[in-house]
Amino acid sequence: MSAPSLVQAVAKRGWLNKMLKPVSNWYINAAGYRQMGLRADDLISEENETVLAALQRLSPKESYDRIYRIRRATQLSLTHKLLPKNEWTTQEEDVPYLRPLIDQIEAELAEKDALDTLAVVKN
Amino acid sequence: MISRSALSRGSQLALRRPAAAKTAQRGFAAAASPAASYEPTTIAGVKVASRDDSGPTTRLAVVAKAGTRYEPLPGLTVGLEEFAFKAGTQNTNKRTALRITRESELLGGQLQAYHTREAVVLQASFLREDLPYFTELLAEVISETKYTTHEFHELVENCIHEKQAKLDSAAIALDAAHNVAFHSGLGSPLYPTVDTPTSSYLNENSVAAFANLAYNKANIAVVADGASQAGLEKWVEPFFKGVPATSSGNLNTAASKYFGGEQRVAKNGKNAIVIAFPGASLGVPHPETSVLVGLLGGVSNIKWSPGFSLLAKATAANPGAEAFAHNYAYSDAGLLAIQITGKGAAVGKVAVEAVKGLKAIAAGGVSKEDLTKAIAKAKFNLLSASEVSGTGLVHAGANLLAGGKPIQVAETLKALEGVTAEKLQAAAKKLLEGKASVSAVGDLHVLPYAEDLGLKV
Repeated sequence: MSAPSLVQAVAKRGWLNKMLKPVSNWYINAAGYRQMGLRADDLISEENETVLAALQRLSPKESYDRIYRIRRATQLSLTHKLLPKNEWTTQEEDVPYLRPLIDQIEAELAEKDALDTLAVVKN
Repeated sequence: MISRSALSRGSQLALRRPAAAKTAQRGFAAAASPAASYEPTTIAGVKVASRDDSGPTTRLAVVAKAGTRYEPLPGLTVGLEEFAFKAGTQNTNKRTALRITRESELLGGQLQAYHTREAVVLQASFLREDLPYFTELLAEVISETKYTTHEFHELVENCIHEKQAKLDSAAIALDAAHNVAFHSGLGSPLYPTVDTPTSSYLNENSVAAFANLAYNKANIAVVADGASQAGLEKWVEPFFKGVPATSSGNLNTAASKYFGGEQRVAKNGKNAIVIAFPGASLGVPHPETSVLVGLLGGVSNIKWSPGFSLLAKATAANPGAEAFAHNYAYSDAGLLAIQITGKGAAVGKVAVEAVKGLKAIAAGGVSKEDLTKAIAKAKFNLLSASEVSGTGLVHAGANLLAGGKPIQVAETLKALEGVTAEKLQAAAKKLLEGKASVSAVGDLHVLPYAEDLGLKV
């Protein structure tokens, strides 16, 4: 589920971060998911075990809100419309609520893998 | 803790073999007998009771005053017990439940979490040389467990449902007897049944709040059976530093009061009757109760023979039922319980015989032979309980928490030998004059009422 990413490298370097911020903002705008009332994490493909497990761990309210946003976006897509400007997702609302859970689950799976392939050597 | 770098594929995990361990090993011909009592100390604000038998294994337990008696809401003790070792402590340096399990398996240790009416016990059994690892592990489980929602739903709830399905008539009858005897506190059920409503009380947040109240230095005792005092002094201090000294709230510590009464529960399956009287508590020595338990008996130490105690004779006359007597000793109260389980009407008949026998003791006293047998049985029960390593752990911890001294075996033995027939008769009379606690579970059509048995409720 996690792809190779340069996010950490950019975040560490303040000058690089400042330089790439406008590019990032333009990209998010062009992607157009905010105009449909979605958050970035709503777009994560749920057809794999890790994301399914993460979705199980969402609180009932977060899960309900997510499904509402997705249904609303589907309806917009069907009618070829966008939301009015005051209903677009704002920068503050667009928090990664699913990413941390996915990272947690991936860490657990990686740990399980490491423990399964442990080599024990007695002195 | 086994460091994270050791887990990378292909790297070596060297098991420690310090030279000192070799000198600690004793040959099989070693003749020293184990110390019978636990020595209480305080190490860095933590109450510690230890007993060293110089054997190859150690049992280390953290006993917390968080049993069903002290739970603020129903089901919390059970939740706390189930979260131990299952929930992770997932901060940067700490470990998940899976890692805890795998590491313990590699070291050959065994982890258990269980509870009694007065305590929640987290116990680890391991080889002597792994004392530092398991001391750290127990301290970490106490102070750093994260009580997460998904672990509650995926692990804890399912375990609780499984254990609830295993509750049989005998367990329910004993819980019911405690309930009518003590009402709240000690009367809370040891394990909530399937029909007990706990869903509004038991969730990960209430368990976390309970853990905050329960797991702090003022409320726990560390009990070690088979560890050296020096080792404990070295390792308890650094690892238990993270455990808070006190908690913000208070657990309800009302004194126990005996009430008495009767409770009948209809249930499919076996029949069970529990006849209970106020018994001997841990603090106040009452040798007459132990001897009475020996006299009533029921459990024979001789194979293929049911024995000749009162209850054994009653069950021999009414096949299909089993009976035994036991004194449940708690910190400030006790319950002397005669537990009868079986099929059909035999259970009721044995109950009638048992009460008749008790009345006979109260009226006419005991024969010399029976008294000798009863005292011998009581002495054996006491000695075998303190000799077998592992048992007595919870008692030592509970005693330490209550502020009393651990049970002194030698003095108790002497007191047992001093019980006479008159004292026993007086004790039995006193029991029958007060209110009894009677519970009947099963086919209520055939199970007698307390009045039919001749008891006062």
